[in-house]
Amino acid sequence: MNKPTRVPHLFRRPEQLAPADVPMETAYQLEQFLYAEAELLDAWQFNDWLALMAPDVHYWAPVRENRLAREAEQEMYPPGTAAHFDENFKMLGQRVARLYTHMSWSESPASRTRHLISNVRAHVTDNPDEFRVQSSFHVYRTSSERHQDSVIGRRYDLLRRADNDYGFQIADRTVVFDMSMLLVKNLSSFY
Amino acid sequence: MDISEFIDPEKGLIRGEIFHNKEIYDQELEQVFARSWCFLAHDSMIPDSGDFIQNYIGEDPVLVVRQKDGSVKAFLNQCRHRGMRICRAERGNTSNFMCSFHGWNYGLDGEVIHIPHEKEIYDNLDPEVFRATQVRLANYKGFIFGTWDETVADFEEYMGDFAWYFDAYIDRFEGGMEVVGVHKWVLPANWKFNAEQPASDMYHGEVSHASAFQVMMPISEEDGAPPPWVMQQLGVLSEPAGFQFSAPNGHGTGWFKGGMPLMDETIMNWHQSTREEVSERLGEERFDLAGHANIFPNFMMLSNYTFRVTHPRGPDEMEIWAWSMAPKNASAEVKDAIRLDILRTFSPAGMFEQDDAVNWEEEQRIMRGHMARQKPLIYQQMIGQARYDADGLPGKTVDHVYAEEAARGMYQHYADLMSGKPWPELEKIKKAREQKERDEIAARASPAPKTAAGGGQ
Repeated sequence: MNKPTRVPHLFRRPEQLAPADVPMETAYQLEQFLYAEAELLDAWQFNDWLALMAPDVHYWAPVRENRLAREAEQEMYPPGTAAHFDENFKMLGQRVARLYTHMSWSESPASRTRHLISNVRAHVTDNPDEFRVQSSFHVYRTSSERHQDSVIGRRYDLLRRADNDYGFQIADRTVVFDMSMLLVKNLSSFY
Repeated sequence: MDISEFIDPEKGLIRGEIFHNKEIYDQELEQVFARSWCFLAHDSMIPDSGDFIQNYIGEDPVLVVRQKDGSVKAFLNQCRHRGMRICRAERGNTSNFMCSFHGWNYGLDGEVIHIPHEKEIYDNLDPEVFRATQVRLANYKGFIFGTWDETVADFEEYMGDFAWYFDAYIDRFEGGMEVVGVHKWVLPANWKFNAEQPASDMYHGEVSHASAFQVMMPISEEDGAPPPWVMQQLGVLSEPAGFQFSAPNGHGTGWFKGGMPLMDETIMNWHQSTREEVSERLGEERFDLAGHANIFPNFMMLSNYTFRVTHPRGPDEMEIWAWSMAPKNASAEVKDAIRLDILRTFSPAGMFEQDDAVNWEEEQRIMRGHMARQKPLIYQQMIGQARYDADGLPGKTVDHVYAEEAARGMYQHYADLMSGKPWPELEKIKKAREQKERDEIAARASPAPKTAAGGGQ
């Protein structure tokens, strides 16, 4: 594991740095979708949130490390190695179901979250119904009497047009947390 | 500071002061961490010459480095000049380490190899003074431990009977283990709250982790019921039986008869398929013997191949550094199933781990109170039930998987170290204590006649 396959650094891929190229109306629809998703999470409507996932979704969050400057390209663990999330639809479904057992003590009593979504940029793909969408998030959480923390990062999504209330499904999501060592007690939400 | 008033292992009573007090914490760094063997690395983390990782002994950062000759050395990651951190990466490969303050340059072994303007400004460089502070190392089957202490026994002797149990986690397979994942995070709680759990607490699982068991239990798509193999696995929980082991140096382990319940079919099938190989290597009695364990002070493991340290960061904070491991010679499919299982259970997003965090956070928070630290907490499960070398199990065990024998042992050893007595004296005390306990157990088994000299008991 010390020598992971080198993958282009997630933040520096040319296709992600390229100027956004979706039409204004599409950009608006994509942004509204991400805001709606955030609202469902903050409202504890996790089953509705799960319904926004495509059946073939891959929800993945790699671990990051402090590396020497010359090894900076290796600061994120590649797919198939260290990750905080590495989920398919069924696995996400288990996590959602857990929150409704009333015995998931990290969320029972429930924490209060606010998913703030910003810096949304979107690109077209070869498939006219699919868009690559990047967005930043700040998840602010309070729990118990006086616990509070923030988890901040960026998401790289593949959104697919879908026949549902919100118009899209999440076909693929990579979550990159802006922390190497996580300075929070757990990751009990979705990001 | 005399902490003996807070810990009464014989009665199984421990006061919360030891989780809260800053003076006790500072004393732990000196008396516990600097005098114990601490886990630093696994061979598979640093396979090639120049590979390094940084780890900690207590609050002291240590660089663990693969040398050109294949050996491993470790040294305090602190420049001898002004105390700057020599290497600021967690991991990597290098030919040397240059301190980025004044440019002192250290070799892979921690010797100073270059100091800018050395000839003009220093009379002589005594290597004894200038080399980075070296760590005494031991490599046990690929697991590298380090200590600052020259007087603590060699690592295998330090483990004592626990080595036999440790092998049931790490020496099951030809080729040993390798790392397949890592997680690091911070929790607002004392390091001992985590450590005592793998040492001694299987008991919390059925309540703390009830939600995870519920949702991770596979169900058949036909009737929505768990298939027979799942019911068989969960049966272990409904009538819990097993053992707990406690070592004189504070190590502990416990396991279910019939093994830890497995919920992943790939892992379960693979696990069962290894019965013959493992039994041949370790003896059939050790096939199911892995559950939870801690090597004192803070190297923890579970039978699912998660391994961790809890680095102390003040009385009310710890860093958890957790590595997922897998048998090196297992198939890629099995290794990936193990990796996924651990990240979905015992990582900061893991469905078991999330709930542990809340327990420790609340325990810690409440210890701020005055009254919360007055009445001792109760560590009395299976007290007075210890036996030695019973049921084919070396050392001291109790005949139940839900027990606190290992917690009492852990805090007894903790109190021994915190007394500040030197290791040779502690070893004598421990030997005498064990002999007394063995004699008492023998006397209970065959009471002396009342007419005997001294009136029996």
